[in-house]
Amino acid sequence: MDDQYCPHCKTTKYRNPSLKLLVNICGHSLCENCVDLLFARGSGSCPECNTALRRNNFRLQLFEDPVVEKEVDIRKRILKDYCKKEEDFSTLREFNDYLEDIETIIFNLANNIDVESTKKKMEEYRKANREQIMKSKGKLSKDEAYIEALVEQERCEEEEKRQMYMLQKTEEKKKKTRNREALIDDLMFSDQNVEDILATYEAKSKDVHRPLGYGSIPITVPKPATKFSSGIRVGVRGDENFLPIPKLEETLFIYKAVTQKTFGPAAPSSQEVETLGYTKHVRPASPQGIGGGYQSMLACHRAMQDAFCGLFYVPEKSPSPTPSVSSTISTGSDSTEMDVS
Amino acid sequence: MFHTSSQRKHWMFRNEEEIIKLRRENVTMYADKHGDSMQVEDRPLYFLTYDEERLLCRHYEHLVRDFCRKFDPPMPPSVLGTSCAYFKRFYIHNTAMDYHPKWIMYTCIYLACKVEEFNVSIMQFVGNLPNNREKATELILNHELLIMQHLNFNLTVHNPFRPLEGFLIDIKTRVLHIADTEVLRKKAEEFIYRSLATDACLLFAPSQIALAAVLHSASKKGVNLDKYVTDSLVGKGNSDTLKQMVEQLKKVRFMVKHIEPLNPTKIQELEEKLQKCRNQELDPESQIYKKKLEEKLLAEEEETYIKRQLLSEETKRSEDQFLMSV
Repeated sequence: MDDQYCPHCKTTKYRNPSLKLLVNICGHSLCENCVDLLFARGSGSCPECNTALRRNNFRLQLFEDPVVEKEVDIRKRILKDYCKKEEDFSTLREFNDYLEDIETIIFNLANNIDVESTKKKMEEYRKANREQIMKSKGKLSKDEAYIEALVEQERCEEEEKRQMYMLQKTEEKKKKTRNREALIDDLMFSDQNVEDILATYEAKSKDVHRPLGYGSIPITVPKPATKFSSGIRVGVRGDENFLPIPKLEETLFIYKAVTQKTFGPAAPSSQEVETLGYTKHVRPASPQGIGGGYQSMLACHRAMQDAFCGLFYVPEKSPSPTPSVSSTISTGSDSTEMDVS
Repeated sequence: MFHTSSQRKHWMFRNEEEIIKLRRENVTMYADKHGDSMQVEDRPLYFLTYDEERLLCRHYEHLVRDFCRKFDPPMPPSVLGTSCAYFKRFYIHNTAMDYHPKWIMYTCIYLACKVEEFNVSIMQFVGNLPNNREKATELILNHELLIMQHLNFNLTVHNPFRPLEGFLIDIKTRVLHIADTEVLRKKAEEFIYRSLATDACLLFAPSQIALAAVLHSASKKGVNLDKYVTDSLVGKGNSDTLKQMVEQLKKVRFMVKHIEPLNPTKIQELEEKLQKCRNQELDPESQIYKKKLEEKLLAEEEETYIKRQLLSEETKRSEDQFLMSV
């Protein structure tokens, strides 16, 4: 499907992923936009073969090859008229000839061979069998009836299963509440040990949670059918919907400058260390040091901070908590056997 | 930074009495525990008293300083400061009778080398010891974890050496009437080294010790720094904080000035006394210690054996169950 493209505007599926190719009875495809443009008035001619086309005859192209599309279309039309069944013929041979005839007509029309004579032949046939055609129009064929019956049966089965499942569920719930009530009664009036009672009920409730025992009916949770017995797939679509990404509601972080009690006069900031000339009095950084990210300001600043912090410090209370060794130590190395206490 | 450190939180004491009280408790507790059979009056004769223990510890602190100064390759001073701090902190909650100060001292220095990023291997380290290097290696490594545990893993120590540099830089920058600030350095450093012999690092902030050192040196050299302290450092209008700080500085200087001299003959006696009264169970060279260690190892072995047996039974049972279910 990669090289799907509109023959009129040359748009490809690659350039416009939402490209939809439509096809009409002549079997030439056109993209949706071109159809809108060319058949704005409801009818017009095919840009490839000049066949007169109606806009509402356009339908989605299902097959990659438009020729196949055309053939399918013709077959549908022909089979409306040629609707005789096997019962209508006396021998199998005749019925097969009849089918052969149909195929020849379809092939001729699809490939533009003897179109005129074929059409004439069809007209004759239609006239000859008008009555029968009219009759069979309203009637479903045997095969169709069979498929219908299958679908119906499937639906019934599903319904039955669902009901059974529901029944089992309510049953389970009832059992649970009954159990709980019994437990409370026991706890209130029995003279048994509380733990014993609880243990027995624990065991019981576990049984309840296991409904798929040998006695009970096995339940299979009905799987959503993706396929009818007739082979038609349902419930599967190409464009899967993903869950939307959950939005997180968060408050924004607000920076608050940290203030610390240094127990001393304020030390010059790292800028001041340089501007006020403190760095003049320390060893200048070597080229290797600068390469590694060292600046003489860093060492100077640290020395100043260390000098000023704690200058006014007076210990107010004894250290807390005192690292009491006797209680906290466990043997760490060979010689840590303690007997201090 | 000192103000957020574990040093301030856990290792700063209000006054000397508090420290003395803790140390006294250790000694009496040890005597009570190990001297049940003795008369109370006889105990001081057998066990170390508080003063004796102090003298011994101070002797070993002195040895720490000696060892560090002679160490090859030369050590930065912060290693010395940190080792002294470890040693002092350790003997606040322990007695010399439980742990012999000799090995605690070496281990403190070894640990301080690591913490202060002075990179020496254990082989290099024991190379500085006169003899018995094999044994020393084993003992130092055995004691290392123990000491860290007793220090409550508060390993960062703020020493007065960097604040001293800070003050010298500050004086050079802000006090312009002093011709050469470097003259202050030698005496100030000496002061700090002497302060390591006292309990100053358990009572005062490192910057206070450093400032005391600078002021001490200035007064020796006849340099007046009063204006610098009152105006530049404290600032006007803070007479209360100034008073408090000056009080602290005075205490530091008093402490450092009044260090009692050590008496070598007395120390010799004390060493012998310690050999007798020390806790045999914690002496790595005693028979009791070795026996205990052996017992511990055996017990451990037995424990692992039992554990393994239990485990194998468990797996066997579960396998059986599995087979049954299949």
